[in-house]
Amino acid sequence: MTVGGLSVGLETTPTRRGKRLSPMVYLLVAVGALLVLSAVRALSGATDLTSSGTVQAALTAAVPLAMAALAGLWAERAGVVNIGLEGMMVLGTFGAGYAGYQWGPWAGVVFGLFLGIVGGLLHAVATVTFGVDHIISGVAINLLAPGAALFLSKLYFADAPGGGQKQSPRIEDAAKVTLPGFSDLMGTIEGKRWFFVSDLAGVLRGLTTEISLLTLLAVVLIVATGWVLWRTPFGLRLRSCGESPSAAESLGVNVYKYKYLAVTASGAFAGLGGAFLAVSSGQFRDGQTGGRGFIGLAAMIFGNWRPGGLATGAGLFGYTDAMALRGSNAVHALLLLLGIALVVVAVLQYRSGHNVLSGVAAVIGVLFGWWYFTSDQVPPELIGAAPYVVTLLVLGLASQRLRPPKFVGEPYRKGHAV
Amino acid sequence: MSTEPPAGGAPAPAVQLSAITKRFPGVVANSDVNITVRAGTVHAIVGENGAGKSTLMKILYGMQQPDEGTIAVNGAPVSFSSPADAIRAGIGMVHQHFMLADNLTVLENVVLGSEPRKGVALDFGTARARIAEISAAYGLGVDPDRLVDDLGVGERQRVEILKVLYRGARTLILDEPTAVLVPQEVDELFGNLRDLKAEGLTILFISHKLDEVLSVADDITVIRRGTTVASVSPEGVTARKLAELMVGSALPVPELRESTVTDDAVLTVSGLTVVGADGRTVLDNVSFTIHAGEVLGIAGVEGNGQAELVEALMGIRSCNTGRIVLSGRDITRATTRHRREAGIGYIPEDRHRQGLLLEAPLWENRILGHQTSAPNVRGPLLDRKGAKRDTERIVDEYDVRTPGIDVNASALSGGNQQKLIVGREMSGSPVLLIASHPTRGVDVGAQAAIWEHIRRARAEQLAVLLISADLDELIGMSDTLSVILRGRFVADHDPATVTPEQLGSAMTGAGRED
Repeated sequence: MTVGGLSVGLETTPTRRGKRLSPMVYLLVAVGALLVLSAVRALSGATDLTSSGTVQAALTAAVPLAMAALAGLWAERAGVVNIGLEGMMVLGTFGAGYAGYQWGPWAGVVFGLFLGIVGGLLHAVATVTFGVDHIISGVAINLLAPGAALFLSKLYFADAPGGGQKQSPRIEDAAKVTLPGFSDLMGTIEGKRWFFVSDLAGVLRGLTTEISLLTLLAVVLIVATGWVLWRTPFGLRLRSCGESPSAAESLGVNVYKYKYLAVTASGAFAGLGGAFLAVSSGQFRDGQTGGRGFIGLAAMIFGNWRPGGLATGAGLFGYTDAMALRGSNAVHALLLLLGIALVVVAVLQYRSGHNVLSGVAAVIGVLFGWWYFTSDQVPPELIGAAPYVVTLLVLGLASQRLRPPKFVGEPYRKGHAV
Repeated sequence: MSTEPPAGGAPAPAVQLSAITKRFPGVVANSDVNITVRAGTVHAIVGENGAGKSTLMKILYGMQQPDEGTIAVNGAPVSFSSPADAIRAGIGMVHQHFMLADNLTVLENVVLGSEPRKGVALDFGTARARIAEISAAYGLGVDPDRLVDDLGVGERQRVEILKVLYRGARTLILDEPTAVLVPQEVDELFGNLRDLKAEGLTILFISHKLDEVLSVADDITVIRRGTTVASVSPEGVTARKLAELMVGSALPVPELRESTVTDDAVLTVSGLTVVGADGRTVLDNVSFTIHAGEVLGIAGVEGNGQAELVEALMGIRSCNTGRIVLSGRDITRATTRHRREAGIGYIPEDRHRQGLLLEAPLWENRILGHQTSAPNVRGPLLDRKGAKRDTERIVDEYDVRTPGIDVNASALSGGNQQKLIVGREMSGSPVLLIASHPTRGVDVGAQAAIWEHIRRARAEQLAVLLISADLDELIGMSDTLSVILRGRFVADHDPATVTPEQLGSAMTGAGRED
């Protein structure tokens, strides 16, 4: 979840699976990405590209997405497609609004999580026990949840002080922490406008200043997920249910149990994502999630069903989200950045032999560059669409060598697995 | 002999199955099966496809429960309600279709379900050490950290064996382990099996490839129609004798009776040339005639234009020059459907890819290719009743062993699938039958049946084009033999006098005679 996310993500995905990059390479890629960012910042004069404020905003925007992506990861690794993430997030936002304004942000988080679990259980009952098609169940939850949330919001918030038909009273924000001393030092360096050094300082300052405890919790959860799923017997069994349920079954793994646990956990993470969203924006509002569940799924796919990858993806989408908030100048600079990123993608795809894809990426990249140099600003109507455009381009052009769990979305019946 | 002997006397048999009977609705899969497996031996169980070998092994592995009979392991009676029980008793199974997760490493696949732990975490160090130890002890040569996806078929099989050994199995069931292997891999596997035997493990080896069984087994039990019919030792038996025990009668020989060839040309192909997508000429000026009641056999090393010839005749591939005349009608430009309606039956070489919809019931498969003619249609609609009735007829006449016509084609064994296809292609009174490797991958019983159907078709004045890689089949079943080499017909032979060796050298273009 760094600003370097844009280029990092684009470059790591096309590498051969099975051959993991060393941390050194990741660091080099991140430095390279930051260099490009600095150059674009210097060229365009859009200081927002690397300012600490942008980084903070990006983090705040990325956390709910990362939680949604994590929720998707848990379900899909166990073989269940959870397109109902959006609905479960909505339940989370309502839960946070309901408990949050009465008993504080952490009560909101816990209640949001709880409602997410309810959504997850619903999905588990439908898909695992009754064998309902995963997409149908997910869509049903997506239709059901906003309706339920709106109904309950009218019921509980309309008469509450500061609340309304479609929104909750204000929730206090969770506590924020700052790394003392370091943050101020970075702030000083950032103000100097030195090439690269100030940009690095801006990023570091953004990462160490006024960080919500919720963000820290999210980071812990991402790391913990990686550990649980890849380093414990529990995680191995859970993943085996998504890779080959028949093999798991033949070795005595109770596939139903692990699918249930996974989908329930998925609901919990989605609820948490919704709660984070509500708490960090200060209240529950109807339609607050705005498709974040789906973008979270996209981030998970972009991240090749791995925690590190999905964090990168969420960081990328959070960053573009933050840029859109920063206004027209920043989004205009984003055009150039996107153009450069696409050209990088083109080169990488060309080297791995995808000539057509490489050509498409190169053409679009050049078009974005041309757009940047022939215009002064982006039409305001398009600014809000920036995150979605980036989502589309990134998913379409970078994600070519992905490896979804083999039996994801497949119905499973005990004793009948192929 | 190296397993622990029980108190006094000779060691108890590793596995003893007594009077096992298993019924499924409508079928008796096993009846009164008795098998005694000596400890420390390779015991082969042979039988035709569908004879009940797999059901028997599922019973021994706890996947299914017998209706009658007892199982004893190392002399002690046991009853298994799930594979976990069997594993606890030291029995492990290597399935014919590998039970491996591709995207997990070898280590993860092996330890899944019985992981060594360090606190709540998986103890990778211990797991890796144990796998390396087992792998070295039995010469399996498996690297625990590779992704299963990157492994070849032989390696995957060794991972499966490792999985079983890791769980402490002393008796291994291998269900048709050589079906997926190439000859070199088979040799390696047999080497592994001998190592395992040397370590005192017992192996139950299920197969219908008799020469393999004879080379690796210490004891052989023959199963026919669900029951044990003989227990023999490999020294006192030949492959032919075994096959006869499996089939229950003298082994079928591909041979034709008196000639039925007439002067009546059914298919006349002249100057047929086909150029492939890459610009290579795959069929070069091929001409031949098949008369009613004649079987024309085409011999050739695979990839010399046989597949293209069949596709050109069926209208799947268009020909560049040449004429195809069927019963006096020029069909060179006709579509595949018109050709089929004109009376061409077609047994494709790959029944799974071209012959059947595996996930559709038999009666729907009956309609395929005949979707425009009675009894499958009435007016513009499908006639489900008619199709079902006719499927019943095929199942009866062609001895397709199936629980019913509503099961999916994938539930049938290869031989029975092929018999269904033959039955379908012979219905609707065709005038020409194109049979491409009709007995490939089917058991001897089905092979005999299919040959008999071809003979009967010939007697009924069909013209038959037979393509096969089995030279005995070609020589025995053909009235006329042509050899195809690089898209040309290079030689004609008289099947009455030619030997497989002569045919073989003509196919490779080595000893071209006159």
